[in-house]
Amino acid sequence: MLDLKLEDIDGILVRYNVALEKEMTPDEAAEELYPKDELIYPVAKAIYEGEEDDVVDALQAAIDAGKKPIDLIDDALMVGMGVVTQLYDEGIIFLPNVMMSADAMLNGIEYCKSKTTDVPESKGKVVCHVAEGDVHDIGKNIVAALLRAAGYDVIDLGRDVPVDEVIQAVTKEKPILLTGTALMTTTMYAFKEINDKLLEKGIKVPFACGGGAVNQDFVSQYDLGVYGEEAADAPKIADAIVAGTTDIAALREEFHKH
Amino acid sequence: MVNKYTSMAYAKADDMLFGQSKFPVKAGLGLEIGAGYTTPELNYAPRPQAGKSMEKLVKEYERITTDAMARMVQIGAPSIVLETEHVEQMSNNPSWGAAVAHAQKTIMEEYHDEYGIKCALRHTIGDIREDRDYLQLRGDKYNTFMEAFEECAKAGADLLSVESMGGKEVFDYSILRNDTAGMLFGIGVLGSMDMEMIWADIAAIAKKTGTVCAGDTDCAQANTAMFIAGGLLDKNLAHTTAIVARAISAARSLCAYEAGAVGPGKDCGYENTIIKSISGVPIAQEGKTSTCAHSDLMGNLTMQCCDLWSNESVEYHGEFGGTTVQCWSETLAYDCSMMNVALKTGKAKDLRDILALSDKFRDPQGYVLAYDNAYKVGEAIAKDGNNNYLRSKNAAIESCKIVEEGVNSGKLRLTRFEASALAKVKADLVALTDDADKFMSDNLTKFKQEVAVFRPENYGL
Repeated sequence: MLDLKLEDIDGILVRYNVALEKEMTPDEAAEELYPKDELIYPVAKAIYEGEEDDVVDALQAAIDAGKKPIDLIDDALMVGMGVVTQLYDEGIIFLPNVMMSADAMLNGIEYCKSKTTDVPESKGKVVCHVAEGDVHDIGKNIVAALLRAAGYDVIDLGRDVPVDEVIQAVTKEKPILLTGTALMTTTMYAFKEINDKLLEKGIKVPFACGGGAVNQDFVSQYDLGVYGEEAADAPKIADAIVAGTTDIAALREEFHKH
Repeated sequence: MVNKYTSMAYAKADDMLFGQSKFPVKAGLGLEIGAGYTTPELNYAPRPQAGKSMEKLVKEYERITTDAMARMVQIGAPSIVLETEHVEQMSNNPSWGAAVAHAQKTIMEEYHDEYGIKCALRHTIGDIREDRDYLQLRGDKYNTFMEAFEECAKAGADLLSVESMGGKEVFDYSILRNDTAGMLFGIGVLGSMDMEMIWADIAAIAKKTGTVCAGDTDCAQANTAMFIAGGLLDKNLAHTTAIVARAISAARSLCAYEAGAVGPGKDCGYENTIIKSISGVPIAQEGKTSTCAHSDLMGNLTMQCCDLWSNESVEYHGEFGGTTVQCWSETLAYDCSMMNVALKTGKAKDLRDILALSDKFRDPQGYVLAYDNAYKVGEAIAKDGNNNYLRSKNAAIESCKIVEEGVNSGKLRLTRFEASALAKVKADLVALTDDADKFMSDNLTKFKQEVAVFRPENYGL
């Protein structure tokens, strides 16, 4: 086989990821972000490490020391998850870490709920679905996990969801955001039908769409559509809505990259 | 009857080449695949609104077929394969798929009769074996699934393929949680079991209808890993983890050929060079010509041993240079022309090496899939070819070793993150049992608890 000399490779390709890698390790970066409170710190650290049992142990220790379970959701679990999402957004940790942390956080929320009669408040409701006829749901699962990790109450309708079922759910739940994912060109057409039926009912909820064959040009063809190129855009779109940007044109201005 | 591969088709990696396979396949109208020349394989998707009715779909595919065949004749291309990947309506309603196959083949026959262009039609049936909540691999939809193969074959499809989904429910859960055993269980064990079942049945249909039982791809799993891994700067999955999934997928996709498939394997099976090294079947591949569908880090390398050269998929619509199927079929045809000249002038090995080297050090995935290293993964699979679990594990461990060797040579550079992910996955693999029954039992228990949508009965368990 022909071969390249070591010194010739840089002229053929550049491993930018190696060249630009940050000096700080993920653990060191996380350590800098953990809250200092000695009861909250172990919860946040266990969330970052994705250790469900450690999260529960740390929560129980905090409850034993007098913290209210309902407060620990926002003050400890969400803070720990905030560390994780910040590190992910900065490119320091990878998606599987976020997924494992999200599992640990949700487990922690259930534990806190089991210890109180108070009902936690979410940042807002988001309805997620995969287009009718489409069963490819890993993208939707990532979107749902990232939204939950960001503190949203996710109504997950699953995959291959009939248009009318989406309309019904939006009518009932009144979410701040609807998301739709699709892999195939022929199934993503359902998004346009959903858009039309929502408008017929006078519902103007932002409809974030993305996935395989979905592109910005297609999503821009229907009034409620906001294109999300990556799963990580979903919580950012929701955050923008919570912060007051509900106008579709303004959301497109912010999130349409092409 | 499943005959497992326990030896290599090629004596050494250097014997592998594009346009040549140990066991060429005759298909369609005068075409022979892997018989000394490469052929473009064009793939396309109908526009969104075309799925509204059978009539609209048939009309869409007639336009696509006519456009592509006309362009091939206009530029003097000697051969073409058209691949129709079913939209769900065509597989859930086999008569729709058959109507499309018939319409396409009629047009292709007209071009073959008039111009002598060698051509074949591949239909890739959609893996419709699921309902809203669960995979339903052996349930009610199995008969419809098989009927779709048979009806399309009878109506004109020459090559039968599928991108099957067995094991995906466990894999999807595992890949997002860095669960190495789960990746191995999903692809190498569950995926292989499902492959052995469906490909025996597809082979019987191909025999009955006089068509070619072509091959599969682990698109549902290894490509999911590759796409999540993304480009150099994406932070969703370590590329060192993605290549381990890919190596395992070779052991899984090989099951098709053991159950009766003869190739060409599907274009998006980036594991196909490994499979060719073991089985000698012709393969389809995609790379720089599939940027219309997705990005990868081995646009030239994948061409190294291809027999069909594909564009993966492109939505049918207009471009400056014609419709998309015309533009991409033309690009594919010129690439094939270049490879065919190299074959005729005795320069094929040089071109193969140039293609491989242009991407070999770009990323650990390309490094392992470069034909010399792919051959080593093939050897690791064939060593325990009779045991689906062990050969999958062998492939995974071999891919880790290959990446480590690349790093030690100084030519393949990893980030610290990729290096630590590699160390983790290798440590996980080395710690696994060699006992396939124990691995099965342990993981059945674990994933029944952890993955709500995992149904062991899908695998006859």
